[in-house]
Amino acid sequence: MPSILSLIQNENMKIYRRIGTWFMIGLLALSTLAGALIIKATYKEPKNWKAEVASEIKEMEAQLSEEKVPKMYKNHLEQQLKINEYRLEHNIKPVASNTFWGYLVDSADIIALITLFTIIVAAGSVASEFSWGTIKLLLIRPASRTKILLSKYIAALLFALCMLLLLFVFSAVIAAVVFGIENIREPYLAYQNGTVVEKNMLLYVMQVYALNCVDLVMMTTFAFMISAVFRNHSLAIGLATFALFVGPQITALLAMKFDWAKYLLFANTNLAQYIDGTPLVEGMTMPFSMMMLLVYFVIFNALTWFIFRKRDIAA
Amino acid sequence: MNPLLQLKNVRKDIGKKTIIHDLSLEVFPGEVFGFLGPNGAGKTTTIRMIVGLMGITSGEVLINGISIQKDFEKAIQHVGAIVENPEMYKFLTGYQNLLHYARMTKGVTKERINEVVKLVGLEKRIHDKVKTYSLGMRQRLGLAQALLHRPSLLILDEPTNGLDPAGIREIRDYLRKLAKEEGLGIIVSSHLLSEMEMMCDRFAIIQHGRLVGIESVQELSKQAQKVLLTVEPVEQALTVIKNIYPHMNITPAKQGIEVSIDYKEIPSLNAALVSENIKVYGIQVLTKSLEERFLEMTGGNEIA
Ligand SMILES: Nc1ncnc2c1ncn2[C@@H]1O[C@H](COP(=O)(O)OP(=O)(O)OP(=O)(O)O)[C@@H](O)[C@H]1O
Ligand SMILES: [Mg+2]
Repeated sequence: MPSILSLIQNENMKIYRRIGTWFMIGLLALSTLAGALIIKATYKEPKNWKAEVASEIKEMEAQLSEEKVPKMYKNHLEQQLKINEYRLEHNIKPVASNTFWGYLVDSADIIALITLFTIIVAAGSVASEFSWGTIKLLLIRPASRTKILLSKYIAALLFALCMLLLLFVFSAVIAAVVFGIENIREPYLAYQNGTVVEKNMLLYVMQVYALNCVDLVMMTTFAFMISAVFRNHSLAIGLATFALFVGPQITALLAMKFDWAKYLLFANTNLAQYIDGTPLVEGMTMPFSMMMLLVYFVIFNALTWFIFRKRDIAA
Repeated sequence: MNPLLQLKNVRKDIGKKTIIHDLSLEVFPGEVFGFLGPNGAGKTTTIRMIVGLMGITSGEVLINGISIQKDFEKAIQHVGAIVENPEMYKFLTGYQNLLHYARMTKGVTKERINEVVKLVGLEKRIHDKVKTYSLGMRQRLGLAQALLHRPSLLILDEPTNGLDPAGIREIRDYLRKLAKEEGLGIIVSSHLLSEMEMMCDRFAIIQHGRLVGIESVQELSKQAQKVLLTVEPVEQALTVIKNIYPHMNITPAKQGIEVSIDYKEIPSLNAALVSENIKVYGIQVLTKSLEERFLEMTGGNEIA
């Protein structure tokens, strides 16, 4: 019986021996470069950042003095206020997009592209075996279907990890070249237990990346499920990307009217809402969202496994 | 001898339709066993059930005594197969395809891969992408992946499809050799009786998902035959034959005389002709009669 490692090795071979995969990697590098060049060309440095932070503080104070500010939002404002005051006191400039760290944080938006690529890879890894007819030779080996499915899922996630690493390296190199590394010692300001603390910027960037990966993992799992259930590559890609780009909007609309919207997947994928923002529906907490994500994750995977394990292969 | 493969009342329903009706048969080590049947008879469906690609509605498939349903990984270990067309990863080379399947079974070394490549005669093209292969080359690569792990049961769905005559002959000889010398049990499916005759020891005739009969090639060729006699002079020979076998069905053909006769009777007919000083140049058993018999058994060319 083959080990799961050799099965993953096989899946990797099938991913990286295809032109399409290298096209995706090229596109990723290109987007990272283009992003940096666009910021370089269009970003306007504020003349006096201290004056700007000061005016921001005034605005926040005004908002706070109003009645009927939701409690969650109020907390958020107070935190930002404290951080801004700390900036003025200690002469720490806000992280601008045209700096090394600023660009690294911004580049996390490109993770949406990686999510799209991973959806394509994950959906293809099951559906293509059916459309190529290779599924027949794949499933008559002494490896259970569960093992084969698992190896495909792991290979897709490894691909995502690989792309994330590449994104990080690309953006770091490009940011260093385009924006320079003078500000590399700049700290990240966070609000913890009532005080403002200086934190390592690298850790913050990694946190931003990690938060952006929730969508990635959930949508990849979703696409994987669709492709195993319907054995159709385009359907899986279409549904997953549609959900990825339209899901959050629809959920936000529903959340304005209905309380139950908090049980929807996309109400919970944006974990950043608990760190520097306000929750979609009042009363939602980080543990709640984590729990909901886990429930969806288990349901998607269980369905995939259940259907793939028993199905007749008539392709 | 214990059977390598046992089908016990295997049945397959898809929706409300029964595609295979209670099929039972056994295949032994060292024999080449055929599945013969017209299009849509259920050959591929049966093969899919044997290798676990399709569930079995009722009944049992045992490979080396192990149930494919209850213990798939163990039962499938010693099986090599091609199901319908040998589809491979077109964007990989032939070698990478074999490497892929080699990694899925324990103990297939690089040397073994090279050995199999040589065996199917693909050395020159093995490092080319499969999308550049001809149908026959893909068929050979398919055979290679089925043989990689030295299976004891080899199942080939229409293995000669797409091969040139030399290739067909090569594969036929090779399969016979594998069965004889290495004791493999081999199942081949085909709609061509002539192919069954040349390759198989026994074959099952399947029609509309039912087993019509299991024939031994050796036995079959001994049954009533059409025989073509090449004799001179023809007129005289005709009188002689009519004398001995007054009720015989005789048709004068361009090449000689066609007679329907029992296999056992051929020597005595020959002796009679020779004793009348007729020159006998050839006695040829016509396989066409087997083909006719097959059509008779399966009710012609009707598709299920
Ligand atoms: N997935 C399916 N759903 C419904 N019917 C099916 C399915 N697969 C096969 N059949 C039917 O089962 C019967 C047997 O098909 P099968 O492919 O086993 O035939 P075959 O003997 O291999 O024919 P051929 O010589 O053409 O390859 C056919 O009537 C076919 O229509
Ligand atoms: Mg068939």
